[in-house]
Amino acid sequence: MAKTPLLLTALSLLLCFSLMAQEDDLLSLLGEEEETTEYANASFKTNRVINLHSLESTSAGVLDVKISHRFGTLNRGAYELFGLDNASIRIGTDYGITDQMTIGLGRSSYQKTFDGFVKYKFLRQSKGKKVMPVTAAFLATTAVQSMKWQNPDRENYFSSRMYYTFQLILGRKFNENFSLQVSPTIVHRNLVKTANEAHDVYALAAAGRIKLTKRVAINAEYIYVLPDQLLPGFRNSLSIGFDIETGGHVFQLHFTNSTSMIEPGFITETVETWGNGGIHFGFNVSRVFTVVRPGIQ
Amino acid sequence: MSMKYLWLIGLISFGFYGALQAQLYEVKEATVNFRSDAPLELIEAKSDALRGLIDGEKRTFAFSLPVTAFEGFNSPLQRVHFNENYMESKQYPNATFAGKIIERIDFTKTGRYVIRAKGQLKVHGIERERIIRSELEMKNGSLHVSSIFTILLAEHDISIPKIVHQKIAEEIEVRIQATFVPK
Repeated sequence: MAKTPLLLTALSLLLCFSLMAQEDDLLSLLGEEEETTEYANASFKTNRVINLHSLESTSAGVLDVKISHRFGTLNRGAYELFGLDNASIRIGTDYGITDQMTIGLGRSSYQKTFDGFVKYKFLRQSKGKKVMPVTAAFLATTAVQSMKWQNPDRENYFSSRMYYTFQLILGRKFNENFSLQVSPTIVHRNLVKTANEAHDVYALAAAGRIKLTKRVAINAEYIYVLPDQLLPGFRNSLSIGFDIETGGHVFQLHFTNSTSMIEPGFITETVETWGNGGIHFGFNVSRVFTVVRPGIQ
Repeated sequence: MSMKYLWLIGLISFGFYGALQAQLYEVKEATVNFRSDAPLELIEAKSDALRGLIDGEKRTFAFSLPVTAFEGFNSPLQRVHFNENYMESKQYPNATFAGKIIERIDFTKTGRYVIRAKGQLKVHGIERERIIRSELEMKNGSLHVSSIFTILLAEHDISIPKIVHQKIAEEIEVRIQATFVPK
């Protein structure tokens, strides 16, 4: 019988002391907070890496106006101020319908092309309650070039001006400073110049970014076009650049061997090479405007 | 050693345990608002995720707030920047305030009290000793706490780049409303 009170005493003393010990630090008594799902954000500074779409989408209710330039190639020399005398331009706007769905329109001076896209993020990288290792988005674009017909005498169809791109974007923010994505891509061209060129061009793109400081990151992207689809003379696109973010603006300054800033252009129509200085300096300036303000509920 | 004493000690410590339990108050619901009133921009955000405990007997308290839970802001990008560039919430996920109430009063009795809470305020991983004036009201067994105070960004090593100086206030006003119930 003697054991029972002894045990009870010991137990209650223990309970009491353990509680007192904790009392000294109420903060620790608060315990762990309820586990929530934490989504990765800011894997890239904006929804483009350089030419490629990044895995980021434009937030709901935000209009992103983008003005992009690609100057001539550096190997044109001092006479053309290393390419700065020439510029290829794209002006475009993207809008976030929801946090997952982005649409956009643009017009490029390169082949006087209009383009539009829909991007839908169907998986979001997260940890905590719900774990998802990657972010995945689907991109569909349409481009219409509006150059005068080269051969006005023959029967020309409007559909000959059309290009379509379908791209799956799979990416992951590995840590605060490093993000990587791969994008299997199909570019469909309704009209090609010769029978040796593929209408459907398959390519695999890879892109990454390393954050250097809070507001500056270095980006790189490479697009590998699978062999025997393009004529000799067409190259893979390689671009390297910096993102500089200042509040509502993102300045992207880069070097690339592509002139065009839309998928059918930079994936299937890149002709310059890095090897002989066929490098364009260029920039994208992104400015976001909040159209629909997020309210405080 | 007699058995009686053992029983006694056991009983006393059980009683003490009970008393300790009864003195703890826990946040049931709370809102935390902050306001950055700069010449060119007013930024406001709100969170309901405050957790807190007050010990009625020892007059000690502890609060913790996950920084990422703030909602509002003038744009989604601003919220991203708040977490990424200023609060660095991945590295410093919680803001905390823990310490003791200076006034020797028994606020567990029904009534209104104005008190000073003295403790360590930790924001952006930097602790500062602060005395924060608060109003307490004990009504129907629950304790309502309300407080308005300011946080100097510089005190917590949150630097504002020159380019946005006109858009972010150096002093942030924080408002807290919380209801505590016995734990």
